[in-house]
Amino acid sequence: MSYLSIRGLHKQYGATPIFSDINCEIAQGEFVTLLGPSGCGKSTLLRCIAGLTEVNGGQILLEGDDLVPLAPQKRGIGMVFQSYALFPNMTVQQNVAFGLRMQKVATADSMRRVSEALDMVELGSFADRYPHQLSGGQCQRVALARSLVTRPRLLLLDEPLSALDARIRKHLREQIRSIQQELGLTTIFVTHDQEEALVMSDRIVLMNAGRIVQSGDAETLYTAPVDAFAAGFIGNYNLLDADSASQLLLRTINSRVAIRPEAIEIGEQGTIEGHIRSHSLLGNVIRYRVEARGVELLVDVLNRSEADLHSAGKAIALTIDASAIREVA
Amino acid sequence: MSRAEAKPAALYHRTVVWLLFAILLLPLAGTLLYSLSTSWSASILPDGLTFKWYVALWGDARFLNAFGQSLLVCFGALALSVVLILPLLFVVHYHFPKLDGLMNVLILLPFAVPPVVSSVGLLQLYGSGPLAMTGTPWILVGCYFTIALPFMYRAITNNLQAINLPDLMDAAHLLGASTWKAAFLVVLPNLRKGLMVSLFLSFSFLFGEFVFANMLVGTRYETLQVYLNNMKNSSGHFNSALVISYFFFVLIFTWAANRLNKDKS
Repeated sequence: MSYLSIRGLHKQYGATPIFSDINCEIAQGEFVTLLGPSGCGKSTLLRCIAGLTEVNGGQILLEGDDLVPLAPQKRGIGMVFQSYALFPNMTVQQNVAFGLRMQKVATADSMRRVSEALDMVELGSFADRYPHQLSGGQCQRVALARSLVTRPRLLLLDEPLSALDARIRKHLREQIRSIQQELGLTTIFVTHDQEEALVMSDRIVLMNAGRIVQSGDAETLYTAPVDAFAAGFIGNYNLLDADSASQLLLRTINSRVAIRPEAIEIGEQGTIEGHIRSHSLLGNVIRYRVEARGVELLVDVLNRSEADLHSAGKAIALTIDASAIREVA
Repeated sequence: MSRAEAKPAALYHRTVVWLLFAILLLPLAGTLLYSLSTSWSASILPDGLTFKWYVALWGDARFLNAFGQSLLVCFGALALSVVLILPLLFVVHYHFPKLDGLMNVLILLPFAVPPVVSSVGLLQLYGSGPLAMTGTPWILVGCYFTIALPFMYRAITNNLQAINLPDLMDAAHLLGASTWKAAFLVVLPNLRKGLMVSLFLSFSFLFGEFVFANMLVGTRYETLQVYLNNMKNSSGHFNSALVISYFFFVLIFTWAANRLNKDKS
């Protein structure tokens, strides 16, 4: 039996369903990301697990206990919010100690655990500061320490990196992942950023319009999207309708086709002739817009040297790896 | 902008500010001087200076009584406001955010209806029957509550919106706090600034309130402003001393409140 088991979970606001019949199993120590566009129900699902939003049906079993009838205080769940939600009237030390204070942990023990938690997020020397004296990244690390110090059974992260700038976001996601692995903490992370999801997760649960579209590790989601939505949301797939796909591949295809841009090779010789329309440099990757047999494709090529660069209008030949051509619903 | 241009502009700005300051301060300075003069009628400056008006004022039992009663009514109304408005604000913003629109209309009512009109209504309503309380301080406490309501509601609402109440409550709940504990330990301390500002603003306003006090209670429970009105036929020096005393009390009160607020934050 899995550590966290979500069974037939249903939520609606008035007559509007947010999600229905959500089923998901999560193993102990697993880092699971709920990925999806805004409004797909991922944050509401997280809030339902936390007990901050009531569900209309279904079960949430954590170590076999049904959480649904329990108040958030009784669930043993830690949560980090996008807005940090630090208490402005308390110092960093008091913020982190708040959960222990509620549990009536003895002062000496509490002091020790708070200082351990702050050391873990590398903020040991900031204990006496107030939240308004910290940067966004530091605030979020305090919030993380605050939710870890009570040793929760489950850690929920609700878009914790969305309000931060790119450099800090990258650093913090590595820090979150390493702390999670060190503590072996079962974690559910909500994001709309596919790169974050791919880099951090053991498993990604892709959601759209209140249902789970696909669930699997990063590689499966990236290389084997189950439908057009999954292909469109993760990576920069070329999504071709049946007619375009038939035209390109010179055989009859009855469904849509997804082709990863890096699975197409550009060379002097190849099976499909075409020409370059334009290119853009994305650092280590050059992204070409190519036209072949009347179909426009994106092709990603590793940026090895300037000499390799094909200019617009140049005639080229494409080779597409057969295994990379995926028919999707 | 070059320095040559900046200088006359700065001088102009400074002159305007000082002029405005002087215009506002001059009547007060005149009143202060009048309250300190032995007599001042046909000369540019007073004949002599004396403290006798202040001694007479602060020795007058009726004045002290009115002063105390004013304080009592104001503090009573403000205490009622705190007890009622804080939980109301919490409930509106945490549980029923949609009610905020309705509240914004409601709190404008005390401003929309002129005091002369609403006092007539209050006299009708509370003049007789089971809730007869005109002539008692209770009606003033209730009436002043409605005047303090808009100040308090707006200031604390701004404060609540700035702290992101729902997320703070959620965080506190997940860390094991009950709603009561979260409200007392997390929300209330963060509302101190808005609460203090609105309390002192309301106090200064209520302490100088005359129309309601005169219409609803009058001499049966004399407040400071009603006393001032009743003394209008006595010596002008005496009344000036009263006005200056009132003004300094409010000034010192506000200053102390500001200090108190700054030290803690």
